[in-house]
Amino acid sequence: MKMLARIVYIALGVTFGWAGVAKLIDPSAFLSSILTYEVFGYVLAVAASLFVPYLELCVGFSFVTGFLRGGARWLAGGMTVVFLMLLVQAALRGLDVDCGCFGSEAKASETGFLWPISRDVLMLGGLWVAVICERKADRKRES
Amino acid sequence: MKSVQEAFALILIALVCGGLAYFTHPLAPSFGIDELSINIEEVQSEAEVFWIDARSDEDFAIGHFEGAILLNEERWEELLVDFLDRWSPSATTVVYCSSQSCMRSHEVAKRLREELGVEDIFALKGGWETLLETGLAKEGDE
Repeated sequence: MKMLARIVYIALGVTFGWAGVAKLIDPSAFLSSILTYEVFGYVLAVAASLFVPYLELCVGFSFVTGFLRGGARWLAGGMTVVFLMLLVQAALRGLDVDCGCFGSEAKASETGFLWPISRDVLMLGGLWVAVICERKADRKRES
Repeated sequence: MKSVQEAFALILIALVCGGLAYFTHPLAPSFGIDELSINIEEVQSEAEVFWIDARSDEDFAIGHFEGAILLNEERWEELLVDFLDRWSPSATTVVYCSSQSCMRSHEVAKRLREELGVEDIFALKGGWETLLETGLAKEGDE
């Protein structure tokens, strides 16, 4: 159980880290992506374009190394839920968004919403599996 | 409780890194874009306008505003030569990209202001979409 949790955390950590690095290479491109969701004002979008990539990188680092992992779990879950809500609202409103999930990508009119939404659901599922496995392993060790 | 403290620690680290990136990252966006932006009504009141298309080469080839020249960050050095040959400093220079959410025009306008030391260079609010909506341009225009 412990090993499975560790593997899932590393996979999630690499994914978050990759997403963070892809965004922090070009914050302006990420800003353009955020604005396509038509949810945030310009100033908030600029702040997010600078902050979110580093938060993802921190979460990725925590998952891989185990350092501050408890906090990273909450942040990863929160961020993924927010990303999911942004994608769903964009799909419902028929917006042609650039996901921006892993840097600037093709618009939704070309790629659709299915894969980005599925990816976020998969990540939430992975996080849930890791937490459950970790707790079971801890309980087993205590008993 | 420990997890919440850890989450705040991570948020703090990310905030510090993001703050540093704002001041040091060469591609960091600016909070103040209002001084760079111009709306279509203001553009129409200008006597002479020099248009720049900041979109990709492919989008420019599909259609662009009449008289606009291509100047994007992908081929900056190469396209800047052509721009300087044709640029009229007495005209108000207006840069457009694809839409409201596109920041390419702001980046190009900002860079031109810095490199040329001229203030009369703006990014069009709404970009190419606004030009289409107002009927000033049509899909496939050249």
